[in-house]
Amino acid sequence: MTDITTSLPDAQPERVRLPPSRGSRKTRMAAWLFVAPAFIAYAAFVLAPLCMSIYYSLLRWDGIGEAQFYGLSNYVTVLTDSDLLQIIGNAFQLVLYFTLIPVLLGLAVAAAIRSHMAGRFGTITRTVLFLPQVIPLVAAGIAWSWMFASTGLVNQTLKAIGLSSWARGWLGDFVWALPAVGIIGAWVLLGLCTMLLVTGITKIDPSLYEAARLDGARPWHEFRYITLPGLRQEIGVCITVTVIAALASFDIVYISTQGGPGITTTVPGLEIYRLAFAHRQVGLASALAIVLMVLVLISIAPVQWFTRDKK
Amino acid sequence: MKTASPNSLIARGLIIVLMIITLLPFLSMLSAALAPQGTYPNGLQWPSDPQWSNFVRAFEVARMDQLLLSSTLIVMGVVPLSVLIATMAGYGLAKLTSNKYKWLYLVFVFGLTLPFEAVITPLYYEVRALGLLNTRFAIILPLIGLYMPFSVYWMRAHFLNVPHDLTEAAQLDGATRWKEFWLVQVPLARPAIMSLTILLFLWTWNQFLLPVVLVQDPMQRTMAGALGAFQGQWGTDIPLLCAGSLLILAPTVALFLVFQRQFVAALMQGAVKG
Amino acid sequence: MSGLTLRSVRKNYGDVPVIKGVDLDIAHGEFVVFVGPSGCGKSTLLRMIAGLEDITSGEVSIGDRVVNEIEPRDRGVAMVFQSYALYPHMSVYDNVGFGLKLAGTPKAVRDAKIRDAAKVLQMEHLLDRRPAQLSGGQRQRVAIGRAIVREPDVFLFDEPLSNLDAALRGDMRMELARLHNDLGATMIYVTHDQIEAMTLADKIVVLDGGVVQQVGSPLELYNNPANLFVAGFIGSPKMNLLELTSRPEGNVSSAELSAGLALNRGALAGTSLTLGLRPHDLRVAPNGPLNGQVRLVERLGNETILRVSLADTTEITAVLPGQDEFAIGQTVAFDFKPSSALVFDENGRRLPSPG
Repeated sequence: MTDITTSLPDAQPERVRLPPSRGSRKTRMAAWLFVAPAFIAYAAFVLAPLCMSIYYSLLRWDGIGEAQFYGLSNYVTVLTDSDLLQIIGNAFQLVLYFTLIPVLLGLAVAAAIRSHMAGRFGTITRTVLFLPQVIPLVAAGIAWSWMFASTGLVNQTLKAIGLSSWARGWLGDFVWALPAVGIIGAWVLLGLCTMLLVTGITKIDPSLYEAARLDGARPWHEFRYITLPGLRQEIGVCITVTVIAALASFDIVYISTQGGPGITTTVPGLEIYRLAFAHRQVGLASALAIVLMVLVLISIAPVQWFTRDKK
Repeated sequence: MKTASPNSLIARGLIIVLMIITLLPFLSMLSAALAPQGTYPNGLQWPSDPQWSNFVRAFEVARMDQLLLSSTLIVMGVVPLSVLIATMAGYGLAKLTSNKYKWLYLVFVFGLTLPFEAVITPLYYEVRALGLLNTRFAIILPLIGLYMPFSVYWMRAHFLNVPHDLTEAAQLDGATRWKEFWLVQVPLARPAIMSLTILLFLWTWNQFLLPVVLVQDPMQRTMAGALGAFQGQWGTDIPLLCAGSLLILAPTVALFLVFQRQFVAALMQGAVKG
Repeated sequence: MSGLTLRSVRKNYGDVPVIKGVDLDIAHGEFVVFVGPSGCGKSTLLRMIAGLEDITSGEVSIGDRVVNEIEPRDRGVAMVFQSYALYPHMSVYDNVGFGLKLAGTPKAVRDAKIRDAAKVLQMEHLLDRRPAQLSGGQRQRVAIGRAIVREPDVFLFDEPLSNLDAALRGDMRMELARLHNDLGATMIYVTHDQIEAMTLADKIVVLDGGVVQQVGSPLELYNNPANLFVAGFIGSPKMNLLELTSRPEGNVSSAELSAGLALNRGALAGTSLTLGLRPHDLRVAPNGPLNGQVRLVERLGNETILRVSLADTTEITAVLPGQDEFAIGQTVAFDFKPSSALVFDENGRRLPSPG
């Protein structure tokens, strides 16, 4: 017999289209047993505290004595008090530094290199650029406190190039402290973003660039119409990571400025800590905590929306 | 390697500048750490008489041996258990539940963007109620819970990619779910488990907020937490502070240099998936 | 000894029924092939027997035991997957022995069984390798070896050859037939390929749309298909199907065709019918009732396959013995033995053979 029909085109198993049914009672039982330990840990140390945070945020409580029900007054305070608004604003200013600098510099490097970093140079680059990711943020804070100190390297460099008048105690300066903190965060995140974007760009098919060049595209066009869309996901990742790092920052500020001078560098994370444990305003601290959580969520959501693979 | 086009020369230049910017703070700290005690050194200036003994003093002052022990104990308390229960949950969610239970997974994922600050206040009262304040357990137990969203998400993503046929083959071979998990799934998940272990190790070792709030005694803290206390105490003695800081960040940097490839892979995937 | 029985077995995914009531008896030692197009439910049915899918209603029994609620591992079945599903982290030896190890079989016994299976499948030299180091055919052998060592009552095969190339598929087909002979076990085999079904099966179950279309031996299905679907599915090349209208005056479509057919026309007057003619049953005859122009000639040496378009543009296929020369565009006419023609009513049901 001839073998003509042995290769029918429908070789896929038909079950792929349908969700595998795993409904049996024993399987469900096993599922719960496997998930339970993680869920208990998560419930005990995340979900429960989160619920308590929401509860505390409705109280006026010093953490020791009787608590009074306070309604939404704490939230009203968070959203109207000028100091607290400035503190929230500080976090969003930090986003500019934490996010823009690493992403823009990373894009510049990626667009320029547009190929895999192979060999020894690649290894050294990766190692060096990842160093800030490996060390504690606290250590980054200390290192840069020293960089920004009056006798530190920043001022030393300024003096060396004849800009002595610019030299100052950066972290104690009402105008410059916040940008200085922003630079610290940018330094920490720069390597990670650069490597993510460089790795991302190697996944773009090089023939796209060749085709574009044949179509008469200028370098700017290549960047705008091939590189940027091709890196959409990686850019999304960088923005997500850096925005969370900025809004939820604590370590760097705590170490480098303690929120000062005044409250020019105070961020919500630090203020929650102060309010709850120094000023004993547990309710207000919790309201700020919930607001911070919501702010992170609504800042991240559009990024995720725009950079997801559209199906 | 490709021949260097002008573009890649610019790129190399840019990268070298970035590397210098990355390294300068470390070099500046090193130069300050070698300056004579009690002096105010300059930003970056190789001292005429490098005081390597500053490191010895910092080691003693910071009680580095105790800190290493404390951090190691905390890591040992957090990482293996977190990885184990997250792997179990990832397997359970990816392989044993139908779409009806997607909500359970979404509950875990909800925690992915949660700033630790959002729960630190109630955690303080919870840990105090448990009588664990100022012990290492005050850091260990909450961290396990706080790591679950990422860890479960990570392991589930891995298990989703394991062909379902393997699970079914194991079922037909007579494996219980528990045996299938240990004999088939865990060996196959080794790379994912390795990366998760590295990430959790780094995050635990470098954890700052929890020790600052929950543990007073620096000797019961993580390295990062202890560094905070060290700065508070010796912040004005720049050479000592810099020497201490370098010592404190040395262990992770050393591990990183040894396992460079694995660390880089873990950090990149960790960012992408997180 | 273990046969297998299905009683009104149904399966729904949510509201979508995929198996719509299957009854089937499989005797011990039978080689049964489930065949049908993609999506017909054949794999689902197999997986329900294995215990990998729930049974929405009905009963599956293996031997004299109802197994609906029994875990896959306790059903006494072994399965060979289309993807082979070998454990990538284990050597071939450990893959084959995994089930025995789980069952707590003593090491010496285990070793003997693994080596026996390896000998049967001629893969003793592969035992130390990992699955990634094996070719597709070798992986297939390992997957079969893993099933053999467990000495199951029922072997289940889910499209086991569809990832292999054509030549290897032929070899493995023969090997499976030999294996069935040697082991004498019950085997259920799922495929979309009717040639595998014809060559391997004692009994073929043709499925379409979640319903059993016909059960029978390969030749029964070939010679006496119960309906249009089976007629079109079994046999290669496919049966020619020609639309006809039975007219009251006794003609079927055309005077020429009716010459060969003596239909019970009284009852069928005015209905549309389908005439089925196997390509191998067509004979060149200068005045035959079917004539048209040659569109395509395939010369296979032992036979010649013609694609011919008739006057009303329907195309038919004819397989002629030998190497006769035909030119494209040439006119050719065929006839056939009336007894070889099959007739189906407007619902696709087979009517008693004419002639």
